[in-house]
Order: sequence, then C-alpha cells, then structure tokens
Amino acid sequence: MNSIRIRKGHDIKIAGAPSCDVEKLGKPSRVALLPERIPFIKPRLKVKVDDRVNVGSPVFEDKRNTEFVFLSPGGGRISKIDYGPRRIVKEIVITLDQDEGYEIFPMISETQLEDIKREDLVQMLIAGGLWPLFRQLPFRNIPNPKSRPPSIIVCMGSKEPFQPVPEVYLKDKGDLFEFGINILKKLTKTLFISASSDRNFVQDPLHSHVTHTCDGVYPADDPGVLLYYIKKHPDENRAWYINGQDVLLLAMLFKTGKYPVDRTVVLGGSLAREKKHFQTRTGVPLSHLANGRGDNTQRARYIVGGIFKGYTASKDGYMGFYETSLVLIPEGDKTELFGFARLGFNKPSKSRAFLSVFNPSLLPLDCNQHGEGRACVNCGFCAGVCPVDILPQFTYKSILADEIEEALDHGLLDCVECGLCTYVCPSKVALGDVLKNTKKAYFLEEL
Amino acid sequence: MKFLKDFFETNRKHFSEGGRFEKLHPFFDAVETFFFIPGIVTKTEPHVRDSLDLKRFMSMVIVSLIPPLFFGIYNTGYQSNLASGLPVTFMAVSLKGLKIVLPIIIVSYAVGLAWETLFASIRKHKISEGFLVTGLLFPLTLPPTIPLWQVALGISFGVIFGKEVFGGTGRNFLNPALTGRAFLFFAYPMKMSGDKIWTVVSGANYQGVDTISGATPLVVSAAQGTADFIESLLLKAGFTFPKLFFGLYPGTIGGTSALMCLVGALLLILTGIASYRIILGGILGVLFAAFPGYIMGLIHGGSTVPMLSMNPFFHLVMGGAAFGITYMATDPVSAPGMNISRWIYGFAIGVLTVMIRIFNPAFPEGIMLAILFMNLFSPLLDHFEIQFRLKKRVPNV
Repeated sequence: MNSIRIRKGHDIKIAGAPSCDVEKLGKPSRVALLPERIPFIKPRLKVKVDDRVNVGSPVFEDKRNTEFVFLSPGGGRISKIDYGPRRIVKEIVITLDQDEGYEIFPMISETQLEDIKREDLVQMLIAGGLWPLFRQLPFRNIPNPKSRPPSIIVCMGSKEPFQPVPEVYLKDKGDLFEFGINILKKLTKTLFISASSDRNFVQDPLHSHVTHTCDGVYPADDPGVLLYYIKKHPDENRAWYINGQDVLLLAMLFKTGKYPVDRTVVLGGSLAREKKHFQTRTGVPLSHLANGRGDNTQRARYIVGGIFKGYTASKDGYMGFYETSLVLIPEGDKTELFGFARLGFNKPSKSRAFLSVFNPSLLPLDCNQHGEGRACVNCGFCAGVCPVDILPQFTYKSILADEIEEALDHGLLDCVECGLCTYVCPSKVALGDVLKNTKKAYFLEEL
Repeated sequence: MKFLKDFFETNRKHFSEGGRFEKLHPFFDAVETFFFIPGIVTKTEPHVRDSLDLKRFMSMVIVSLIPPLFFGIYNTGYQSNLASGLPVTFMAVSLKGLKIVLPIIIVSYAVGLAWETLFASIRKHKISEGFLVTGLLFPLTLPPTIPLWQVALGISFGVIFGKEVFGGTGRNFLNPALTGRAFLFFAYPMKMSGDKIWTVVSGANYQGVDTISGATPLVVSAAQGTADFIESLLLKAGFTFPKLFFGLYPGTIGGTSALMCLVGALLLILTGIASYRIILGGILGVLFAAFPGYIMGLIHGGSTVPMLSMNPFFHLVMGGAAFGITYMATDPVSAPGMNISRWIYGFAIGVLTVMIRIFNPAFPEGIMLAILFMNLFSPLLDHFEIQFRLKKRVPNV
C-alpha cells in the first residue's frame, strides 16, 4: 500500500456532519431520472408519458453514442417528463407500482467471470445500464467502451462535505465488493483503489485491496488528485474512475440479474435535524429524505452531491444517478452590519484574518457570498489551495485573454474541479467556473 | 440598525437605473457595503464561500497602518512643537500633530475618492477598497510641511496614472501611492527633499528655528567628503540607534518609526494578508547590500562615502525603508504572485534601496525608487518562475 501525502487543499470546519448510523427508508411513491445531470450526453427519450416501465427498462439513450442507455430506476408508470429551457430534458418521473416488474439481465458467477472475455463484459455492463458509472479523467465524461484505460481508480469515500463513508456502505458487503473488484480487474491491468488514510476501514484486513492511501485535506482523495500525484507520463492522463459504492452496483447486477437501484445516501448540513446515512434507492425524491428531518426555522438550500461540487435542487427535486448526498444549509441571504469590521470568532476562513483561527469548533456555514465581487488583486490564495498545483490566478487570466494554449500548459486539464479556488478568493472571483467551463468547451470542441 | 437599512432602501431608487443620481451608483454602493455586507448568495458550486472578502482584506492593512499613523501624528506634533519652542506635553503634541496631519489625510481621501468615483461610474465598476489603503499610505509618505494642493495633485496623479488608466485596481503595475509620491518628488523637489521640510515650525517662538536642525538622519549620513565614521556623525546630530528605531525624529509623517512598522508588519504577516517573503526578503536585501561596505569600513577605518561604511542595521531603521518594505512592497497587485519571485523581489528592493542611498548623492532615500523599479520587474519574475514550474509538470493536453 502506497501512502501519498497531498500538501495542498483545505478542510472547511463545517458543522452538520452525518453520523455513521443507518436507517432503512421505506419505498418512495415515485423516483426520477435526471438526464441533465449526466455529463456530456444528449438524451433521446425512448418513452412517453403514461408508458409503463420495469426496473431496468431503457428510458433514454445518448444521441451521440446510442450504445449508452439509461435504465429506469423503478417499475411503474412514466408520470411526468419535465423540460427545461431549450427543451432540455430535466426530469423523467416514474410513479412506482406496488409490485414492480424487473427486466432480467444475465447473471455471472465468480467462476464464470474468470472465463468471460473483456468485450463481452463491457457489452454486459453497457446493456445493464451501469457503464455510465465509469468516468474518464480529465473531463469526467463517460468513457468510450472501445478504449482501454491506462488505469481505473476506485475512490472510497470523499472528503467533500458530506458523502457516505465506506464503513457504512460496505458493511456486510465485503464479498460483493470483492466481486466488483474482480470485475474491474477484467477491465484493466492497473487498478488503483484509494482511500483517505483517516478512515479506519483502511486498516481492516478485509479491504486489503487498497493500493493508495491519501493523507491530506479536501480534496485529497479525489481521483484526479491521486492521478496527478502518481502519473509519470502523459499516457496516464486518461484514467477512468469509479466510486467505491458504485463498484457494489456492478457486482449486484451480475449477482442478481436485476438492475441495481439500492444506494446508501447521507443527509447532512446544519439544517438537517437527523444527520445520518439512509439506505434507499437511486432517483429518490429529496422530500422522501428530508421531510420531517429538516430544521424549518431558516430557509434551507438543498444541495445534492456535496457542498463543493454539488448542485442546488428544489425541495421537489430528486437524487441524480451519481449523487449520494443531500446537504441542507442556510441560504444566508441576509445583510450583516459592519460585517467586515467584526472580530469574526464564528466566521470560518482559510485566512487568518478572523479570530476564528482560535476557534476549534465546527461552524455553521451558509450560502452567503460574504462580500461583493471585485477585481483580482493577485493575492495568490487560490494557488495556495490548489491540490494539483495549477496557478488559478494566472490560468484564469490567460483564459480570459483567450490564451488557451497557455492555460493548458498551466495544467488546466489537471483541474479536479474541487472549487477551492473560488471558495478562498477574497475578490469572490468564480475562478473554478472559468476553469471548469473552459475544460468543458475544450472537450466539446474535441468531440 | 433598522433606520440605517431603511435609509438605504428609501434612497436606493435615486441611485438605481433611471434615478436622479444613477451615475453615482458606485458611490452609493460603496457607502452601503461599508455598513452592510450584502446578502448576495452563491449561484453555483461551491455553495459556500470564505468569510474573507476584499473589504476585510484591505481593512486588515488599514488596521496595521494604525500604529505608524498614530505615532506619525504624535511625532509630527512633537517635532513641530519642539522646533517652535512650544510645550511638548502629550496632549499639546497630539493636537498639534492632528492639526497638521488630518487635513493632509482628508485631502488625500477626498480627492482620491472623487477620482475613483468618477472612473467607477464611467466604467460601471464598483469602487475598490484598495483605494482606502492608497489614500492613507500616500499621506504617510509625505513631509508634514507639504502644501495641501500638492497632496491633491499627488494623489490625483497616483490614482489616475498609477492605476486607473491601466484599468483600475488589479490591473496597475505600479504602486499607486508611490507613483503619486514619485510625481511630487520630481515635480516639486523643493517641497519633497532637503533639510527644511521635515518639521512644521509655527507659533510665537519662531526664532527657535535656527537653533534646531531639521535634518533627517539620511541627510546627515549623505554628507560627503568627511572621513569620519558614520555612526559618530549621526551621534553628533543626536541620532542613536534606539532613537532611530523608535522614530521620534523629523521625517515623513508615518515613515520614521521602524518599531511601528515592525508592529504593522507582524500583524500583516500573522494575519497572512501581506507576503512575509517580500518583507523578509527586503530586510535581508538591505543587510546583504550594506554588509560589504561596513566590513571594508571597519578594516580601513572609515570611508570617503560615509554611508558606505554604515552599520547595516542602521539602514533598516533610517528613512522610509521599514515603512516601504512593510506597506508598499507588499501591495499584492504590483508585487509578484509567485513565491520565489516574491523573495527575489523583496531582496532586490532591499539591495537597490541601499545602492541608491550609498551611490546616488541626488537621492538620500532610495526605497521609493527601488520599489517602483522592482514593480516593473515583477511580471517578468513571475513569468520566469511560472515557466520554470511548468517544466516539471507532466503535460496533459
């Protein structure tokens, strides 16, 4: 096991971490698919409103690559298809039957797995709707099934607040995980499994598969950070990654012959009264998780997928295909008198400009921007937290000056989209957005 | 605080689009955000933001300027009353200092803010808090006898040609406060150098002037042709090391006390607002450049250029070196953004300061020119360090 020390990054001292308790939630009345949250695809619907679907029936495919099908997370009736601006498909809602029907997929045992050809395995994963669980660095797109990855990185857990912890989602599922790892080993010769070194389960002998432990603050256990630290050659840049929890899904597909919909999700944040893990299913309505478990004294922002990388959802929204976290924190749209002159014992900051440096306790953060936007003053705080040693203050200026080549030289594509540069910027420049959107535009240009 | 909120709410319409004072919206916004951090929320991820904003950032610089400012007010009054033969009690001296310094600061802020507002309303920008620092730094680098119209002229030049013509805060490559000062220095040398300008003389006992020399330690040290140890020269003029360190001697308003600058520097470094690399680099540069001459002086017993053989530590406590290195060189916009470059930049400022002091008789003080000169080089330093760094990356295209 290799230990990697990540020198840069930042852990925000945010209150509201979920406990390791697990509650099994009842069956929701409906589930949904959110095509707009799946990166770089153009959905083409294969169903209409009022069609009936089983768990695992194809619901839509990618126009660019019709191999990629996205399967129904529930059995029942398509009750609503919600379009956004320019007719982007936002939500496909399925009202669940009492007894859901299941599509049947081929089952594979451990011994069969050893003999199966890689191409066949890939085809089975695509048909089983789980291929999109793989993502390719650096653009985090769904990889081309015909390509061979230089390596696959499995990341166990995340230091982003707040994500399910591997101890919980792997509990009693050691065999399943082992099977999932064997599936991955069929796909690649180089498999990296990384975990944060402060997770107890790393020491657990059951999980001796871990190849790298990452020691550091957020985003130390991001696959992009690991790759940045271990790569020696440009050929290694296009590695794939998959979440630890999703490895279980691969195994479940082959063990049960059914499209796996189980997910362990967390509810956290200072406005969640019950902060813990929940066993539920993919595409679950957020209200199913949060109703009765939120603190209604303040207006809450529903963040799906983590504070740094997630997106804002409405209370009537749904969990996406990838997301396993719901965070409720105050919207914070209040003014503050003489805010800049306060001692700031309770004001979280990466800098040492507030007395909060002496405050060891966790603080409730809100979504206030804490100040107006200003011009960049070249303070270099962003470069001080960038885990992959990009110089965001120079890189973003070269992007704004249309010097894309220079930005690429700076390591634009190494950007792990952690959002820390935006977080620390005292001028409130959205550096992360600039880098991320440029990466995205670059990818779409290459497509 | 309800009434304040109501005040801004009722007057907002006049400053918004279509209102009577639409053009003055940046000014309204600056005043409002001074009182209230606006309730702006994040629109995209990351959903939370650091509590530090530019207002806080610049406020920390202002706070760190308080020691030199207060001491400067006291010292100005003290020197003035001493020279004028007036009582030197704490109250009398402080009031006198305020009487001299406050108008200079008010003019600096008022004129500078007017330019800022003008540019901001034409460009539809916000007024940047950086000006609050510039507007206070500039007066502190001036001699107390400066006529107020020159203050206005200097700050105007600094704000317009040091900053706004290049696009405003964040785009200037020179320190605006020093640009303004350099302008005055070269445009009105009689009011900016020499030994008569450092003390305001007033009151009934005007005859006292002749008996008290207004010479600053730098003027004393720059005296040429005396084959004498510099320390004894300074001692003759009454400048001991502790006195120079403490700063109770004639000089610029805020720049005399190395002790107060040290306090400010510590605050800036501890809060992480200023780069300690620049400050330490500057100190090392001064000591490094002054050291060989000092050793030679010890061996040969003095030098024809007295400044050359001066104890290196005297360079740090004399003139504006401490003030410049602490507050001017660390301006993040005009300093390099890379860490090694910051060391080099600070170090070069220190070296150049001493070089100008020793070898250029036209300028007793070198810190201003050294900083402006290195400001020009900071993009280049950054460029080379970035190129060097990029070579170590595994390419990803």
